[in-house]
Order: sequence, then C-alpha cells, then structure tokens
Amino acid sequence: MLTIGRRPKRTLLRLLVLVVAAVVIFKFVLLPIRVMGLSMEPTFHDRAVNFINRLAYIGGPPQRGDVVGIRLSTNTDGPVQVMLLKRLVGLPGETIAFSSGHLLVNGNPQEEPYLKWLNPDWNEPGRSLGSNEYYFVGDNRSMPPERHEHGVAFRSQIVGRVLLKGKL
Amino acid sequence: MKLVVRLMWAAVLGALFFWSWNFFFPAPQKVIENHLKKLARLASFSATDGNIKRLADTERLGSLLAEKIHVVLDAPGLRGETFDNREELLQAVLAARAQAKDLRTQFTDIGIRVNPDKKSAEAFLTVLAKIAGEPDLIIEPLKFTFQNTNDDWLITGIETVKSLR
Repeated sequence: MLTIGRRPKRTLLRLLVLVVAAVVIFKFVLLPIRVMGLSMEPTFHDRAVNFINRLAYIGGPPQRGDVVGIRLSTNTDGPVQVMLLKRLVGLPGETIAFSSGHLLVNGNPQEEPYLKWLNPDWNEPGRSLGSNEYYFVGDNRSMPPERHEHGVAFRSQIVGRVLLKGKL
Repeated sequence: MKLVVRLMWAAVLGALFFWSWNFFFPAPQKVIENHLKKLARLASFSATDGNIKRLADTERLGSLLAEKIHVVLDAPGLRGETFDNREELLQAVLAARAQAKDLRTQFTDIGIRVNPDKKSAEAFLTVLAKIAGEPDLIIEPLKFTFQNTNDDWLITGIETVKSLR
C-alpha cells in the first residue's frame, strides 16, 4: 500500500503550495532563459541557461553595466518569451559613441572589464539619448558592428536583469 | 448539501454560458489572434507536401490578406523587400516555397491592440522560423496592421520592427 507520510493531507497541502509557488515564481518573477547567439560572448555562452529577474528594478532604475532582457518591440502588452540579452551601457541624457570598439560616454572612454575582444572597425558617432532611452550593446565586439544588434530602447522594453552572473 | 450541488450546477452553467458566448461572439482580439495562428500554420510547409497542397495553402493564406496590402521586410535573406498588393506577395510566397524544402513558422509574444473604433487594429509579435538545412533559427519581430472589412479582419500591412533603434 502506498503511503505519503504520517500526515498525508499536510503533505499534499505542502506539495500544492510548492507547485503554486514554483509556477508563480518562474512565470512572473524569474523567467528562465536559454541564450542563443554569440553577441554576449565571453560573458554568456550560446545555449547557456540563466534567469531574468523581473523584480530587479523595483527598488531603483537600471544601471550602467547591467545585463538585461529586452522586449523585441515597443509593445509592452502581452507575454514575453523571446527577448534580447544585452548590456546596458548608456543612461538617459547621455551621448554614446564608439571608437575602435571602445565605449565613450559624453566623450569619455569607459572601463569595460567584461570586454575581451575588440574590432578596430567599430566606430560610431555620438548618439544622444532621450529622457526615457537607454543604450544596449553585446560584449562580443569582435563581430562586425552591422552584424551585432545594438542601439536604443525605451525603459518600458526592459523586462528585467539577468540573475546569474558568469557562465552556466 | 442541496445548496452546494445547486451552486456547483450554477457554476457549471455559468462557465458553459461564458464559453459559448466567447465561442459564438469572440472578441476582436481573439479573432485576430486566431487569424495570426492560422497564418503561421499556412506559412509553414514540409518537403513531403505536394504542389497542390502548397498551392491550396497559398490560396488560403491569401484569404487572410487585404487586396491592397503593404509589406516591408528587412530580415536575413529579405533585406529591403517590399510588396504593395496581395498578388505580388502571394507570387513571392509561391516562389519561396518552390526554393525551400521545409519551413516551420511560429508566432509568439503576440500583443494585439484594437482601436476604439473597432475598425482597425495592430498586432506585434515575434516570428520564429526554421528552414530545413539551416543551423540557425530565424527570429524577427513584426508588426501587423488589420482592417475590419465586412466583419472580417484582414491584414493590410506587415513590417519588420527594429528592436534596438
């Protein structure tokens, strides 16, 4: 005869609570993701697994250096299953440029310890960001810039911040 | 006990009524979503499909489109493609089917906005497409515009959306 403990009702209730909590957490709070593509190498590998924390910015706005999930369109209604994974490098009101692959914020070069490879052809003129705009780029700047999706998105397109730093 | 049973029956009947209402009088968002899912199914094809099936699917695909449809596509393999009417687009679809062996298309992250006049609507979605023999999945955000013509929501525009401007 199958038994599930001395107090089966309590066990079943605990199981139910666990299932509901898991569904709520992984559907609304921590979105599991699988990375596809090379634009965030070497920080995040192709096919790596991670989570996007949707509550990361409840206490404050996104910061430079954050790796975030970004909706593909400006329409923020509806579900999100596919998103871009990029690093936030420009904040509202700043002017962002690239010179031989190096990031310039308001004309000043920035320390980017996550960068390993640079393409010297990666040169882009200054781009001013509006009050609700952020600049995003991947860590793999060895790719030609025209093959690397990067640019401006609105604050509302940011889904959340990646949970696990480093490689999985 | 009788009250509990009656309440349960009331709940069941209420659910049945709600389901029936939505089935026979679906909201515009639901109609549009169903059109988009049908479009994704019809856009997919397999190497084992015969020419008649491919032609029939293309015809059915055409029934979802307005005669005057404006399409602007800027995706891998389709840089700068534009089409200004249904016939032109369907010819291009037939030509693409003749070249590719197998295509699986899925629409995800569908967000639909119906305008207050209920005569027009916009849908944003992400296309996931897999071509047989190609290693990478094609992922492109698209915007669809719809017009309500004789109680039928037809697609009047399709354009690729730049995620990062």
